[in-house]
Amino acid sequence: MNSARHLLSVLIWFPALAGILALFLPRQAPKLLRAYGVGAGLFLFGQSLQLLIGATHSVEGRQFRFVENVAWIPSLGIRYHLGVDGISLWLIVLTTFLTPLTMYVSFGAIRNRQKEYIAALLLLESAMIGAFVSLDLFLFYVFWELMLVPMFLIIGVFGGQNRVYAAVKFFLYTFAGSVFMLVAILYMVAKYKALTGSYSFDYQDLMRLGFPVSTERLLFAAFALAFAIKVPMWPVHTWLPDAHTEAPTGGSMILAAIMLKLGTYGFLRFGMGLFPLASHWIGPTIALLSCLGIIFGALAAWRQYDFKKLIAYSSVSHLGFVMLGLVSRTEAGVSGAILQMVNHGISTGALFLLVGVIYDRRHTRDVAEFGGLAKVMPWYATIFVIVTMSSIGLPGTNGFIGEFLVITGSFTSDLLNWSHHCSGVGADRQCVNSQIGPLFALLAVSGVILGAVYMLDVVQKVFFGPSTNPRNAHLQDLNKREWRAVGPLVAMIFAMGLFPMYFRDRVDPTVRAFLSVYNSKREALGMRRGEEVPYLLDAAAIQPPAHDTPPTVGHPTALRTPTTTRGANTLVALGD
Amino acid sequence: MNLVLLLSPILIPTVGALVLMMLDAFQKEDGGLAMPTALLHFTAAAMALALWQRGVPADTSALHGFLAIDKTSLFLDATIALGGGIASLLAGGYLAEHKLDRGEYYPLIAFSTAGAMLLVSASDMLMLFLGLETMSLGVYAMTGFRRGSPRSAEASLKYFLLGSFAAALMLFGSALLYAITGHTDYAGIAEVLHAAPAVVANDAAMALQFETRAKISILAMLLIVIAMAFKVGAVPFHMWTPDAYEGAPTSTMAYMSSVVKAAAFGAFARVMLAVYGDAASAGSAAGWPAMLAWVAVATMTVGNLVALTQTSVKRMLAYSSIAHAGYVLLGVIAAPREGTGTTAYASVLFYLLAYTVSNMGAVGALILAGRRGAESVSYDDLAGYARRHPAAGFAMTLFLLSLTGVPPTVGFFAKFYVIRATLDAGYTALALIAVVNSAVSAYYYLGVLVKMYMRDPAPGAAIATPMRSGYVTVAILTAAVFVVWMGVMPERWLDLAREAVSAATAAAPAAATAGGTTAP
Repeated sequence: MNSARHLLSVLIWFPALAGILALFLPRQAPKLLRAYGVGAGLFLFGQSLQLLIGATHSVEGRQFRFVENVAWIPSLGIRYHLGVDGISLWLIVLTTFLTPLTMYVSFGAIRNRQKEYIAALLLLESAMIGAFVSLDLFLFYVFWELMLVPMFLIIGVFGGQNRVYAAVKFFLYTFAGSVFMLVAILYMVAKYKALTGSYSFDYQDLMRLGFPVSTERLLFAAFALAFAIKVPMWPVHTWLPDAHTEAPTGGSMILAAIMLKLGTYGFLRFGMGLFPLASHWIGPTIALLSCLGIIFGALAAWRQYDFKKLIAYSSVSHLGFVMLGLVSRTEAGVSGAILQMVNHGISTGALFLLVGVIYDRRHTRDVAEFGGLAKVMPWYATIFVIVTMSSIGLPGTNGFIGEFLVITGSFTSDLLNWSHHCSGVGADRQCVNSQIGPLFALLAVSGVILGAVYMLDVVQKVFFGPSTNPRNAHLQDLNKREWRAVGPLVAMIFAMGLFPMYFRDRVDPTVRAFLSVYNSKREALGMRRGEEVPYLLDAAAIQPPAHDTPPTVGHPTALRTPTTTRGANTLVALGD
Repeated sequence: MNLVLLLSPILIPTVGALVLMMLDAFQKEDGGLAMPTALLHFTAAAMALALWQRGVPADTSALHGFLAIDKTSLFLDATIALGGGIASLLAGGYLAEHKLDRGEYYPLIAFSTAGAMLLVSASDMLMLFLGLETMSLGVYAMTGFRRGSPRSAEASLKYFLLGSFAAALMLFGSALLYAITGHTDYAGIAEVLHAAPAVVANDAAMALQFETRAKISILAMLLIVIAMAFKVGAVPFHMWTPDAYEGAPTSTMAYMSSVVKAAAFGAFARVMLAVYGDAASAGSAAGWPAMLAWVAVATMTVGNLVALTQTSVKRMLAYSSIAHAGYVLLGVIAAPREGTGTTAYASVLFYLLAYTVSNMGAVGALILAGRRGAESVSYDDLAGYARRHPAAGFAMTLFLLSLTGVPPTVGFFAKFYVIRATLDAGYTALALIAVVNSAVSAYYYLGVLVKMYMRDPAPGAAIATPMRSGYVTVAILTAAVFVVWMGVMPERWLDLAREAVSAATAAAPAAATAGGTTAP
């Protein structure tokens, strides 16, 4: 099938159409419905694999691929501009991979309104992929907002007891967070128009804008707020435990595995890409908040009696790693963060799935209700332990590589500085810059340990020890449906753990290019720090380097920009 | 061009109303007039578009300066006619279902529509007043149409008294303008007001006279703004709105909250831009956008905050219509700004069209949800509605999302366009307040969704069942087509809105460029 030219459009619009079509299928034929939904999801997954072709060690890796760029609303400069690069590649594949799995496993618990459920999931998939591939800020915002409605319905209609509260909280938090982003986008476009005489919402056009320092910080804040709520970063994470707990298994899976990633993805692509100076300024603070998130998330998870809440708080903790990796702005850190996004998607998706399994049998998520399950459900226990290992980052599973890279990245980052003992004013201002990356790395490492503590604690409580509760005595082990759903996830856990380079090869060139643009733009902006009005940067300042030299195995000291040397060396060592 | 042809969008509903009255008088049974009325409106809309296509002649001297038949008014005519048509269809279903189907309703709609069209085409204070009254009188009667109901009578009386009050203020303002300028037409008034201060600078007596004139001009402006604020339901002149909307038959509410609002805003923008659009003229046009900015902030905020506390969907929609008036005001405020003003004016027109179809749809969906004796008005009435009736629930969802401003509906785009115009004009704070309000509004629209999808009716409570009415279904489908079409492919509609105002700004007096730089 040669649909590669419009592959991204297919990825966006196929699930949308399939979702709408699902509403017209007969409710009386549940088998047909289920086959249709899963079939559509699998077809899309197959299509999305085309993205993996030809994105290895080539110069292409630093550019957008599968680009589609046509005018949508020309008079406002709004374009239908899609593209995929190493940052979004795996997130898209993750989306198409998890959606059919989620749908399939949900049919066990969701017996009523399957038609609407299928439609909502497919529409959600469409919007999420759309947000990942949009290179036009207007288009991105449209997809970003579009995601809310199906998720709102999934939580509110199919969720648990307190579902309405959770659904409304989820919707309002995210909606309120993102309207400021809209204003910031519009402000930038207005300034772009003032400078160039034409409107454009294009990411690559708006990249050229430079703003006075205070304006840039405000704009960055508007973007960062929207993304921080989605991530969610401590302390704006409070919607997450509610949403996760009340959502149905499938909803929790999608929410944790993919939707949260849109926050980190947006932070990297737009927050850091568009505002390097502001993100540099606030970087250490975000790193600190991330570390607080890592630690508080882990501590909070430790104290939960509700299985789903536990995983929800562990998400806060894991996403802290991602944010830390991003703000370290080293190649290792950012690559690690991107991999960690995918890893977290898989392992948390699997955890929610497994909790769903036990919830379907006992209709409780109270950890204290269980004990000694390993005897009753040996396979379930085995899989659960594997997923736990992945979640806490045991080497050989996918979790290890991401966390390790993030911590390395943070440790070696020379952009996470604490400026102190300043003297002088204006251009003469001199400060002592102390690298504080290692400090954050230390905090993050303690988070890894805490992660092991709370996960192993719960595993111990649930699966080992005496089986005191008679109601657990005759629980059925994993059934066929559950095996089919969890199998691919476990396979991915090992695939990513044992062959990380396959995944990293498709990420690293983009990350190098991204960081190089980031740094050159930051320098260019820094040179014009004093300017009072917005200005346009030379196109050269935001061009990725003409030649990308991939890390050659055996030659670890291949050409590098100085800032990434240490991180890059680590990379290669791992690759070996 | 043939005068009849030129006036045809206005003449069609006028003549049609007379025919409808005859039909009603001679037919034996009530009912059956909804379809002719709707067709009448749609024909008027088509006629407006046909005129647009054919090109409006530059020479409209046959109108003697009373009416401006230009693309701006044709765009609004089409909006009004479309809204009126949908409202007639809704009335066809609603009145029959609730045993109110007396024929006089339909001529009243047609007369009001004719008045609304006069209002948006007016380029003379007298015509403005005439249009305002023609439109309002019909709507007063339609509001009190549920004759047995004290609430309906109360609504009508309130609306009538406050409406008359507003009309009197308007008349007073016009009279003051006439007194100082000797003109009633917008262009004439603007020309005299603009008589540059430079001319009088050396003459003390002239200067004094100029100053007095400026003061009276400001007073007149205030009176006109207040009168118009009454009509569009802007805070603090919004008090009548919720009661009037709630007491009125729901089909009338659809008409009042969409068509009347669109017409009033169209006229408001035109009179402010034509008479006070020039910052250099006497009475300092620089003042009114700043003043309206406060009104807009109050309107958005009060509308949204009070809407939050409502338990009746009908009343919530009334307050939401106040809030939306606030968003439209943003566009009006930005419209006199040189350079970016055109898009701001266009955004007003676009918003009015978008709001008309979204709101008509939402009210239509609410009408659909009620049967005789069991009209659905409160949130609780709708509990579980979308689960039992997915299609009807989905329609309501679509329109409410459009009102919230969630893509890909037209409501999002309209809001986006207005906010962009506000930012382009440099009113960053206003834009921020608008988006915060928009986020607040999500809560109460969402409340309906929550009820419809996620709650079960309380035991013993009436269970909302949709009425069966082809009229209402067609009305909702029409509105839905526009909501989705304009949301997904807005380009063509934006072009229309821009084209509608580009002529207006091109023809605006050259003076506009002279003083534009000192605008706030």
